Amino acid sequence: MPGPLEVVEIERSFLREVGSVFWFIVNTFQETMERVQQRRAPFRAASFFRESVRAGVDSVPLVGLVCFFLGLTMALLTGYQLQRFGTERLIPGLVAIAFTRELGPLITGIMVAARIGAAFTAELGTMQVNEEVEAIEAMGIGPLRFLAAPRMLALFLLTPCLSTVSNLAAVFASSLVCKAYFSIAFPYFLDLVKDSLLIRDIITGILKSFMFGLLIASIACYRGLTVKGGAAGVGTNTTSSVVTAITTVIGFDTVYNVIYTNFYPV
Amino acid sequence: MIELRDVHMRFEEKNVLEGVSLNVQPQERLVIMGQSGSGKSTILRLILGILRPDSGSIFFKQFEINRLNRRKLQQVRQHIGMVYQYSALLSSLKVRENVALPDELSGGMRKRVALARGLVLEPELILLDEPSAGLDPVIASVVDELIISLTEKSKVTSITVTHEMESAFRIATRMAMLYEGKIIEEGEPEEFKESKNPVVAQFLSGSTEGPILEGTLDAIRKK
Repeated sequence: MPGPLEVVEIERSFLREVGSVFWFIVNTFQETMERVQQRRAPFRAASFFRESVRAGVDSVPLVGLVCFFLGLTMALLTGYQLQRFGTERLIPGLVAIAFTRELGPLITGIMVAARIGAAFTAELGTMQVNEEVEAIEAMGIGPLRFLAAPRMLALFLLTPCLSTVSNLAAVFASSLVCKAYFSIAFPYFLDLVKDSLLIRDIITGILKSFMFGLLIASIACYRGLTVKGGAAGVGTNTTSSVVTAITTVIGFDTVYNVIYTNFYPV
Repeated sequence: MIELRDVHMRFEEKNVLEGVSLNVQPQERLVIMGQSGSGKSTILRLILGILRPDSGSIFFKQFEINRLNRRKLQQVRQHIGMVYQYSALLSSLKVRENVALPDELSGGMRKRVALARGLVLEPELILLDEPSAGLDPVIASVVDELIISLTEKSKVTSITVTHEMESAFRIATRMAMLYEGKIIEEGEPEEFKESKNPVVAQFLSGSTEGPILEGTLDAIRKK
C-alpha cells in the first residue's frame, strides 16, 4: 500500500498530467488560429479527411455492432423484469433514454479511445522516435497544428456521429426484442420512444460526445508527441494513452452527470 | 552568418558542450567532426532552436536564436534546411505523388529526397547530420557531390556533421573538431591533415593508439 509521500507524489503527477494536456489543447488551438488569422490553411485538408475516415467511417461497424448487442441484451434483461409487473411497455423508453443520455456516448468513447486513441499515439510516437516530428519543426511548421489539429478536429466532429450510430443500433436492437418477445409492434415501439425521449436527453448526449472526442484525441496526440526511448517508449505511451483516455472519459462523464442533474434534477 | 558564443549544454549528468564558440561565414561549407556522442548533432539542434543552451548565445544573421519566441523561430527556421541522419522522411506523405512511398526507397534515395526537402524552400543555411552514414561508398560519394554542387549552385552556407573522413574532406571548405565538449581545432582541410594535435591526428588516422579512449584497448586485451 502506498505511503502518504507516495500518495502526494501520485497526486502531483496526476495534476501535472492534467495541466500538460490542458496546455497542449490551448497551444494546439493557438497555433491553429494563428495560421487561420494569416488566411492560410492550418493543415492539409486531405489529412483531415483521412483521419475522419479512419476515426469515423471505419469505426461505424464496430460501434454499431457492439451497441446493437448491448441494446439487445438490455431490452431482453429489463423486459423480463418489467414483464413481472406488466410494464414491459417501458422497455423502449428505458433503452432509448439510457443510450442517448449515457450508454451511447460512453460506450462509443471507450471504443474510440481503444481503437483510435491507440492508433494516434502509436503513429505520432513512431514519428517522434524517427525524428519526423523534429523534421517538421525544423521546416518551420508547427507540429501541433500540422499533426495534432487534424486528428483532434476529426475526432471532435466524428465522435457525436458515432454516438448517434450507437444509439440507433441499440434502439433498433431493442425494437427487435420488443417485437419478438413482448409483442410490441414497431409503430407502437416508435411512439413509446418518442413519448419518453426529451430533446434535452439527445442534446446532453451529443454535447458529452463532443467533449469525449476532444479529450481522447488530445490525450492520444499528447502521449504520442511526448514519446521518449524508442520502440519501448511507443509501447508504454500507447498503453498509457488508452488507459488515461478511458479513465478520463468515465471520470468526465461522472462529473458531467453530477453537474447536469444539479441543474435538471428530473 | 552563424555564430555560437560560449555555448554550454548539459544533458542530465553529462556536460555535452562546454564553451563552444564557432563562426560560419556565408557560402562556407563547414564540417564538424568528432566522436559518436560528442555533441555534434546537438550543435545542429541548437542552431535550429529545437534545443536551448544552458548558457551562451547562438546567432543566425541578426537573430539570437535562443531568445526568439515560437512564432519568430518558425519564421527563421524557414531559412534553414536540415537533413537528418536517418533522413526522417514523413512516411504518411508520398514523394512526388504516385511515384513511391518513402518506405519503398533505398537509403541513398531517401537521403537524396531528404536533401531535396532540405533545399526546396531555398534556405540560406543547410544543416546536414551524417549525410553519408550507412551508404555504400559509391552512393556516399554521389551524395557528397550532390551536396557540393547544390550548395554551390544555390549559394547556400552549409554545416555538416560527420565522422566519415573521406566525406568530410570532400565536402569541407573549413573543418572543426569537437572533443570533450570543446572545439579543439579549426581550419582548412589541408591544415587539418597536417595538424600536430594528437587527438586530431588519431581521429584522422583511426588509430587505437592515442589520447582518444586511452587505455580502452589495453583493458579489452587484458579481458
